[in-house]
Amino acid sequence: MIQRVFVTGIGIITSIGKNVEENFQSLVDGRSGIGNPEVLKTVHWETIPVCEVKLTDEALFKLAGISEGQSFTRTATLGLVAAQEAVASAGLTRSEINDSAFISATSTGGIRELEKYFFDLQGEKMDGPWQEFRDTACPGEHAEHIADFLGIKKYIGTVSTACSSSANAIIMGARMIRHQHIDRAICGGAESLSRFSLNGFNSLFILDKGHCKPFDETRQGLNLGEGAAYLILESERSVAASGRKPFAELKGFGNANDAFHLTASSPEGAGALKSMHEALQTSNIDHSQVGYINAHGTATENNDLSEGLAIQKIFEGAAPYFSSTKPFTGHTLAAAGSVEAVFSILALQRQVAFPNLNFSKPMKELAITPLTKLVRQARISYVLSNSFGFGGNTSSLLLGQVG
Amino acid sequence: MMERNSYYLNGVGIISPQLTFDNPVAITEVQQYDQNILKCVTPDFKTLINPIQLRRLSRFLRIGLSAAIICLKNAKAEGADGIITATGYGFLDDQAKFLNELLQQQEQQVTPTNFTQSTYNALGGLVALHVKCQGYNSTYVSKGFAFETALLDAMMQLQEVNTKHFLVGSFDESDEAHYRINGRLGGYYKVEHVSSLSLYDSQTPGFLQGEGAAFFMVAAHPTDQTWCVLKDLKMLYQPDRHELTATLSTFLEQNGLREADVEVLINGASGDRDDDQKINEVSDVLFPHAVHLKFKHLSGEYCTSSSFAVWIGASTLKNQRIPIHAQVNSVSTPSSINNVLIVNQYMNKNYTFILLQRVP
Repeated sequence: MIQRVFVTGIGIITSIGKNVEENFQSLVDGRSGIGNPEVLKTVHWETIPVCEVKLTDEALFKLAGISEGQSFTRTATLGLVAAQEAVASAGLTRSEINDSAFISATSTGGIRELEKYFFDLQGEKMDGPWQEFRDTACPGEHAEHIADFLGIKKYIGTVSTACSSSANAIIMGARMIRHQHIDRAICGGAESLSRFSLNGFNSLFILDKGHCKPFDETRQGLNLGEGAAYLILESERSVAASGRKPFAELKGFGNANDAFHLTASSPEGAGALKSMHEALQTSNIDHSQVGYINAHGTATENNDLSEGLAIQKIFEGAAPYFSSTKPFTGHTLAAAGSVEAVFSILALQRQVAFPNLNFSKPMKELAITPLTKLVRQARISYVLSNSFGFGGNTSSLLLGQVG
Repeated sequence: MMERNSYYLNGVGIISPQLTFDNPVAITEVQQYDQNILKCVTPDFKTLINPIQLRRLSRFLRIGLSAAIICLKNAKAEGADGIITATGYGFLDDQAKFLNELLQQQEQQVTPTNFTQSTYNALGGLVALHVKCQGYNSTYVSKGFAFETALLDAMMQLQEVNTKHFLVGSFDESDEAHYRINGRLGGYYKVEHVSSLSLYDSQTPGFLQGEGAAFFMVAAHPTDQTWCVLKDLKMLYQPDRHELTATLSTFLEQNGLREADVEVLINGASGDRDDDQKINEVSDVLFPHAVHLKFKHLSGEYCTSSSFAVWIGASTLKNQRIPIHAQVNSVSTPSSINNVLIVNQYMNKNYTFILLQRVP
């Protein structure tokens, strides 16, 4: 029997808050996390705004309950903060944690530390503060580090499909539960800002030097962000056994590839169309039942056009409330899928639809426009959350209220 | 648990430090390496990839895409329903080049090529583009579990829809910066130079830096091209000796086998004196009557090296022939080979079992 998959815990840290409640309050208050980078040292600090978690590494260690010298990179530390909140919100017991799988996503792992110590590591000296970070850029490293800290041995997986990574981590966890390989999985992603990704995206000319404007005719590109978010996924039999009240049900999901270009999406959004369609189909839900779409909406010219056209097509011109929350958090790359899955769960749980900040001028190619103001008592039964990325990867999650 | 289905490897494409890319029988001759770094023996890329595209690709994207193309040809398939890739470290060379550029130029006038080619899913995207596959696409980067996770993903999806075909691939490249850093600081690569062919005699810490790319066509039904059955797999994180032994026995039992049924055991010992203790002991104690093969003197060590072992196992089953350059004990070749068990370890943390069987 295929097991249904429920969400019984959530945890998050982004530039708009270091836990679920702070994030929710910022979303409701329309407060963005954008500003000049202060913790990240970069020559571009005056010209490229980012959505940064305004805590030093040391302050983050404290928040996560670890001490220096435990080889935690900023990515792993952000991940640990969010994962611990998720575990606590579900109220998992020690033995339940041990018996969980941990599936995490990252696009750059501990590159922030590698770029800091790259030449020292290759120099003559045999020790220094860099010694513990010699191999932390390996993307699987952060997941093992967090799992070791939490005491998870059952299964550890890491996914990296660029900006759709953590949506795919959630999909893998859900599939393992459906197939009864596991009963519980902590799934999500973690990403810290780095000069590596800042300069990489900058060299592609897709960073807005001001506030990003998703789905706006005058959009200039994205703002990078950092953060982490995890969901506790549980099988229906595990939920029945524990008596836990789920936050939401993961009804279905879609994963596809645009197969168009390595760093650009097809103009008509073939991959986006396919992943959204699959998410609806596997959930056995008609598009008319979807009450809110948390769009990928990076505010690049390319993404918003293909995603917008795909939404328009699937929803036959009558899209439900939709918005991109990236003007709040920036694009947290591999963490974006799970960050926005948490926002989607909050939308369901608290019946709100979040605004798409900075929107003023409709795109000439689109007949639909995003939500510009917060909606309360929104009557949302199902939420669709999109995450797309370089390499043509497109993933969609469909979350529903627990009936 | 759900019923254990069988899956089939219906095509193989592998580029490795041995001559594997156009060889229907694994390891009939051996390349020796003396500098602790093993590099791929590559095909003439021009015969596989068009020249305009070829110029734009990094060395390892060429190797990875070529392995996928060879696999498709071997499977006599035009495309696949989904593409799943696995890597431990991804495109280390592009990553190091981009880092060097941005650090040396103080973040000024940086070019994007190495950045975009260093993305872990770049190969998965490239293969999708090449075969115009808009289906499922994912990339796992979980160190010594990455390749097994990719296989598991395909197996679960074949259980959902048994008519699909998945192109499952692995890639990891050897890289100078990684060797310089982790060679000089110890704990990874061997400090002294060891000839690859006397790896297991070294009795010192450390392993050889290897690399490779391998693709397999995985389906729920056999074809005329089928190499072997992919019966089951298991991942185990940081087990102690007792847990390793017990889990291995249970794994065989769940697949209706006893230890004595395993005719060929492929042992993923890396040549590191300390890391290999458990795996060697378990191999010797549980499988005294099996032919024992090792492979990391041929491939070197890397996170997804178990894919090289799958190739050896697939060839052994299909050709009913033991690759003698891989054999490390003196058990004589059995009259028929039906069960090949791979037991791998990566840095004594990630332990995996893969059970391959002869096509009935």
